[in-house]
Amino acid sequence: MIQKKICLLGGFAVGKTSLIRRFVAGAFSEQYQTTIGVTIEKKTLLAGDQDVTLMIWDLYGEDDFQKMRESYLRGSSGYILVADGMRRTTLDTAEALHQLAQSTLGPVPFVLIVNKADQLTEWEIDEATLARLRHNGWLVFTGSAKTGDGVSELFLRLTQTMLDAA
Amino acid sequence: MAPSSSSNALPQNIAASLVQKLGAAVLERVGKGNAFRLLGAPPPWWTAAFAPPPESLIDVGDLSPFLQHFLEESESAWKDGPDRVIRSGPWSHRDLASTLHQFETTALTVSGHPLLLIERLDERFDQLQTLLQQARDQRLQQLDQVKTHERTQASLTGSLAAATQERDDVLALLQHLDLAAIVTDRQGCITFISPRCLAWIEREAATVVGQPWEQGLPLESADRTHLRRTWDARTPHRGQQALRFASAPPRWIDYEIHEDPRSPERRIILLQDRTEVLQLRQQLDHHTQFHDLVGRSPAMLQVYQLVHDVARVNSTVLIEGETGTGKELIARAIHYSSPRKDRPFIAANCAGLTDSLLGSQLFGHKRGAFTGAIDDHHGLFESADGGTLFLDEIGDIPPTVQTSLLRVLQEKEITRLGETRPRKVNVRILAATHHNLNEDVIRGTFRADLLYRIRVARIHLPPLRDRRDDIPLLTQTMLAQVCAATGKTITALHPDSLQLLIDYLWPGNVRELKSAVEFAVISARTTCLMPADFPDELRHSQHGHRSSSSQESHSTDPKGDLLRALQRAQGNRTEAAKILGISRATLYRRLLAHGIDVAE
Repeated sequence: MIQKKICLLGGFAVGKTSLIRRFVAGAFSEQYQTTIGVTIEKKTLLAGDQDVTLMIWDLYGEDDFQKMRESYLRGSSGYILVADGMRRTTLDTAEALHQLAQSTLGPVPFVLIVNKADQLTEWEIDEATLARLRHNGWLVFTGSAKTGDGVSELFLRLTQTMLDAA
Repeated sequence: MAPSSSSNALPQNIAASLVQKLGAAVLERVGKGNAFRLLGAPPPWWTAAFAPPPESLIDVGDLSPFLQHFLEESESAWKDGPDRVIRSGPWSHRDLASTLHQFETTALTVSGHPLLLIERLDERFDQLQTLLQQARDQRLQQLDQVKTHERTQASLTGSLAAATQERDDVLALLQHLDLAAIVTDRQGCITFISPRCLAWIEREAATVVGQPWEQGLPLESADRTHLRRTWDARTPHRGQQALRFASAPPRWIDYEIHEDPRSPERRIILLQDRTEVLQLRQQLDHHTQFHDLVGRSPAMLQVYQLVHDVARVNSTVLIEGETGTGKELIARAIHYSSPRKDRPFIAANCAGLTDSLLGSQLFGHKRGAFTGAIDDHHGLFESADGGTLFLDEIGDIPPTVQTSLLRVLQEKEITRLGETRPRKVNVRILAATHHNLNEDVIRGTFRADLLYRIRVARIHLPPLRDRRDDIPLLTQTMLAQVCAATGKTITALHPDSLQLLIDYLWPGNVRELKSAVEFAVISARTTCLMPADFPDELRHSQHGHRSSSSQESHSTDPKGDLLRALQRAQGNRTEAAKILGISRATLYRRLLAHGIDVAE
């Protein structure tokens, strides 16, 4: 059995825990509950013809109150950057965390998901911005932890990329 | 005495109790791997979180992936010795029943023993989470507020842009319609004033907005009162008279006051600059009225131009035209348009006078020159010295006077009757006649050389029947004059009356028209002149055929007309002439021609 550690990185309240809960338990709660420290969830999925167990590190959201601890990233085979489509600044935070992760882990696979696609009309992040990121080689997803859109694809795609990179 | 270190040492039993009370699990590393020995009794939460502790060594890496990860980080703490302490920060562990437990782990070395301290956070975690949750909720709320604020701002900016666009459109529309506008609030204070209006009154918006309109507009007292009256009427109202804005140059403004349909307490004043219209009207008046001459027909405009032209020179002018066409008015217009306008204008009627009488009147006489000449008397030429002498009915002057007149025109000097010494005179001669002087010359009744002398310039006045287009304007002008003179109020001329006036041939020309209007005004019983108000001859006359061209052919019984007029005027020649619409001179001439006694 292949086991991979991945981290979810992003600003606070972008929906990291919700994405993990949707992926691991198929559940979603409207109630926002901030994450303190680290919670690790486990989920096994079939990537190609291989079972892969993902150790999913749900790291607290980056903001003025909690700063990312580089040591948590160590051992990650990949990471997911999460941004909230309704807050443009969360994409800036994701890009900053990407820099931190790259400097800590080196060029490991990563994907970006812009969450809360269920409220697309409220989005501040436009398609042109996403196109720019894609142009820079980023794997960019849009999805919603609330509806589940794009969530499985997100984890599967990262897993596949990690396996390809291994 | 300082206490010895041994006396301060924490007794072993106290240390164990303390750790137990704090609810922490203390694990001592055994060897270099992940094997640890639990020191003391396991804390109460241990079994729920990690299953019962084995009797032997515990592989901490198996307890939780986080602890597995933390062991690698803790290695440096144990290597670096007693001063190095590494804290994991809060971490959560989901047990087999999916319950989350919150811990914090510390790696340290005590007395050479590498230890791992696992503390359950419980209340402290909850407090920390509550605190952080509140802070983040607040932050999210702020962000929402900022977003709402930004949206509101964007919406307001959009609304403002739309309102500005609408305002610009309205102003452009007003501009296109040549209008200015003022909006007032319920107190009558100006809340909006269009740029055009500001330009008219030469003020900045800031100095006008907020002011009562009465103070904001540069009006004279009468206009302010008028506007106030219109304002107080509180119904959509167009001002009955133009306001005069005391600006430089002054402007004449028409206005309308409306209620604001969105708020009846607010009022909208629409203003239109009529200055240019008034100026054009004045210019038009100049064209339609020249001195006392009225008319804007092409023939009259040509006459005005001729008058204007001959006024600038000193030539003798012969004014030709039927009786009543206004020959004397032309003469006066020439005089008062000429450089001689400040000197005398004297009119002399040459008809019906004997040669001696006319000669005396024109040239003066010396005492004793003839019977009745009891004193020296200067003539009209001397009286008009420096000015203009108008000789009406010049075709009727006797041959001897023609000779004297020719001398005056040639020599610019006169000789009083009974004198031999000529006197220099500086007089401009204007002459008028209804005769065809060419025919008179052929007949031998008028001197050809005199004709050429007086006809240096000539102006022919068209008969009224040849300029019927002027009849409405003439009638209107005369009506106003007659009403002013008589004190009667006539506000309208019935269309049938106007048609009657237009159809009539007017043998007496403008003079007859004026007489008819006077008659009608006096006869009128209402404020509208009806056909019945006009003299019978207009309605029943056989003159009313436009094909007729000669005034003399209009009447089948000219002598009877004269006698009837005299009878109606009770022998008063002036009144009789007025009734017939002819001049007094023409009346005399016709009376003589028909052998009627001319004595009063």
